[in-house]
Amino acid sequence: MSTMLLQTALDVSLVLCVLGLVWRVSAWFRVRIGPDARDVTLSQRVAALLHGAGAVLASRRIFDVLRACFLDVLLLRRLFANEKLRWLAHLLIVVGFVLLLLMHALAAVVTEKLFQGYQPTLAPYVFLRNLFGAIVFIGVALLLVGRRRRRTDLAQVRRPIDAAFVALLGFVLVTGFLLEADKIASPRAFYRMTEQFVGSTDPEKLEPLRALWASEFGVVFDDLKQPIDPRLIETGRELHRDACAPCHTQPASAFVSYPVARMLAPAIGVLDQGRADVWLLYLHAFACFLGLASLPFTLFFHVVSAPISLLVNGAAPNRASSAQEHSAAARASRRALALAACVRCGICDAHCSVAPLARYFGNPGLLPAHKLVASGEFAGGRLLRSRNEQDGLRYEALRAAEAAFLCTDCGRCTSVCPVGLDLEDLWQAGRGDFAAAGLPAPAQWVRERAALAWAESLEADLVQSRASEADATLAPLSADRRSFSRCVQCQTCTNVCPVVAHSMHSDHGVDLTPQKVMNLLRLGLRDLTLGSRMVWDCATCYQCQEHCPEGVRVADIMCELRALAVRRLGAVRGVREAA
Amino acid sequence: MKYALFLGCKIPSRLPAYEASTRAVLAHLGVTLVDLEFNCCGYPARDVSRDAFVVAAARNLTLAERAGLDLLTPCSCCFGTLRHAIRFLDEDAPLRARVAQALAAEDLSWSGKAEVEHLLPLLARRVGAAALVTAVRTPRTGLRVAAQYGCHTLRPSNVSRFDNPLAPTTFETLIRATGATPVDWPRRLDCCGDPLHEANAPLSAHMTRTKIADALASGAEVLCTACPHCHLRFDAAQADSSEPTIRTLLYTQLLGLALGLPAGSLGL
Repeated sequence: MSTMLLQTALDVSLVLCVLGLVWRVSAWFRVRIGPDARDVTLSQRVAALLHGAGAVLASRRIFDVLRACFLDVLLLRRLFANEKLRWLAHLLIVVGFVLLLLMHALAAVVTEKLFQGYQPTLAPYVFLRNLFGAIVFIGVALLLVGRRRRRTDLAQVRRPIDAAFVALLGFVLVTGFLLEADKIASPRAFYRMTEQFVGSTDPEKLEPLRALWASEFGVVFDDLKQPIDPRLIETGRELHRDACAPCHTQPASAFVSYPVARMLAPAIGVLDQGRADVWLLYLHAFACFLGLASLPFTLFFHVVSAPISLLVNGAAPNRASSAQEHSAAARASRRALALAACVRCGICDAHCSVAPLARYFGNPGLLPAHKLVASGEFAGGRLLRSRNEQDGLRYEALRAAEAAFLCTDCGRCTSVCPVGLDLEDLWQAGRGDFAAAGLPAPAQWVRERAALAWAESLEADLVQSRASEADATLAPLSADRRSFSRCVQCQTCTNVCPVVAHSMHSDHGVDLTPQKVMNLLRLGLRDLTLGSRMVWDCATCYQCQEHCPEGVRVADIMCELRALAVRRLGAVRGVREAA
Repeated sequence: MKYALFLGCKIPSRLPAYEASTRAVLAHLGVTLVDLEFNCCGYPARDVSRDAFVVAAARNLTLAERAGLDLLTPCSCCFGTLRHAIRFLDEDAPLRARVAQALAAEDLSWSGKAEVEHLLPLLARRVGAAALVTAVRTPRTGLRVAAQYGCHTLRPSNVSRFDNPLAPTTFETLIRATGATPVDWPRRLDCCGDPLHEANAPLSAHMTRTKIADALASGAEVLCTACPHCHLRFDAAQADSSEPTIRTLLYTQLLGLALGLPAGSLGL
């Protein structure tokens, strides 16, 4: 009955796991990130994968992939390069877990086939099971220690479901050790075995065997005469040799479970009465099955996605995967794979060039791991639908877009990523998506209206037209008359401006000239300059400032006006978005 | 001579040859470089918030200060940005207080000890053109080279304190030290167009093409740069253009070749 229940539960979990894996893997061909991915069909993406794999197999790049398989996937070279402690922890968990899986969980399919006479209660399996479990345990402990040590003030990307999965893993370990400890100490388990192999459960008749098992195998009998007669033990040893020894060695080598069994001793009567062996087995097995079934939907899907990402990276290194070298279909799939392969380790965040800006703006969306999550939400349509109660529809998307356009493409995230994601490509694609969704960089959205139209909308917006104190901080030069009142309108700035000169020879003309911008400031009409083409097309080459005979800091003022425009016109724009 | 090398964001990811050639040349000339994990200089944030840009810059200055070093950058824009930040911090006490507060979150504080230097003035003045001439093994005799100064190295001169902003000679002197011949070209002090590429691509492209055409018309064979932004902009503009092209070379590559360093070590 119980075997059937466990078998059914295992079958159900396996089916759920396989279905989940199919669903998650299919996302690599479904999810679209980047404008260039929009028109790529499913069949094109599958074809690109087959074509790419074929090309690698048929070329010398197969050796690069094999190298990546060994160094990156098995030895975790990329993690080793950046975080030694986490590398050690990860390696311990993987090694311990895989060995436990093969030797213990899959004993019927693996160990029994390879080693004649395998019994879980024989040496060295008793010891090895404890060793592997302890290795995983130490790995998890190191991981938690590392996490504490790395704690920063920057927000980190974490999901409750992933923490739950780690807790589940710990639960499997703990119940495993408890189950083994309970079986060691349990008289009930002892009698179950003697009934089968000695043909008796009579305590009197079994007295010699009981004496031996109590003194050398850790079974806790409360009705055994103390002290135990050594001759009785020797008599028991003969019986043991015939009935028990083929399957049992002394459990002292179970260096975790045996001490735990000693600790359980006082409570063993209660545990036996409550059938602890049965429910511990169920807890242990069902926790494993739950883990199996939920694996595709948690962070631990990375056991599938991360190696694939590393192999793809081995076949086509990130730095080379520029837009020209790979088809749009291949890039689209690689970006979708990135969403699944990211393990949220946060190493990229720790090395991000614009982390100080994220800190300053209080916008963690600038950080790589957060951007990756935002990419997934954008692709799923959730980001554009998101509503912040106070700030209205698309507020989250606006924040994410603001952050995306401050990335400097320094590539550090890509170079430190332990799973070899081509993040620069992902960011570029993300910016393309934001722009296509009507959320481009400030230099683009400011062009949606003419300078006069922006000024009028500012006038209509009472809140914005009153925000003067913050302006003095954001744009102190343009808020202080002394910085431009010396302007004598001599036009030197305009005459040396390359933007003015070039726009005269093309149809990309500017609306104002630098000298007119200064004049508007002198007239107190600063709002008229904020959306001006001249302000936004200024190349900050500083010719104007260098040449100004009155020492007006023309280019510095232009920079300030842009910053002011981002905030004030951005607010007007945000109100429109909310409507 | 010992500096903290400030590479900025563009060089490591987009122009590794500049890093390689800078390291090779400076090692050869006895300049020691120290690597600290800097952040973005602040340049991209300047159009969003002056405070944010100064905070980012000040954090870098503070990291160098803590290591007891001055910063050396091969990037014109990083140079200008860091120098500007120092100016703003010097002249604006309330800003200084806000920046101090922002840096305190990481237990950092800026006191202004660290200076910022660009590669060109370092070579021209600290190492010295005369020392370069002595070190040159294979002079690039006869090579006609147009010097691309880079706006933020030159201007505003009261911030960059680099050379005469209207008639600079430093870059030409450095070119001459390699044995090559500097070319006089009318647009040598103009903007390369890169800062406008995102905002107004056609205007930016027009500016870039005009400069290239001018260098060619002036008889230059090589367009020599000392800023990753200028260099990458020229390369990008010429990559998909049917118009006549000119070879671009980083100054560290030109100098490295003249010093007799292997081309591979210069990213060539």
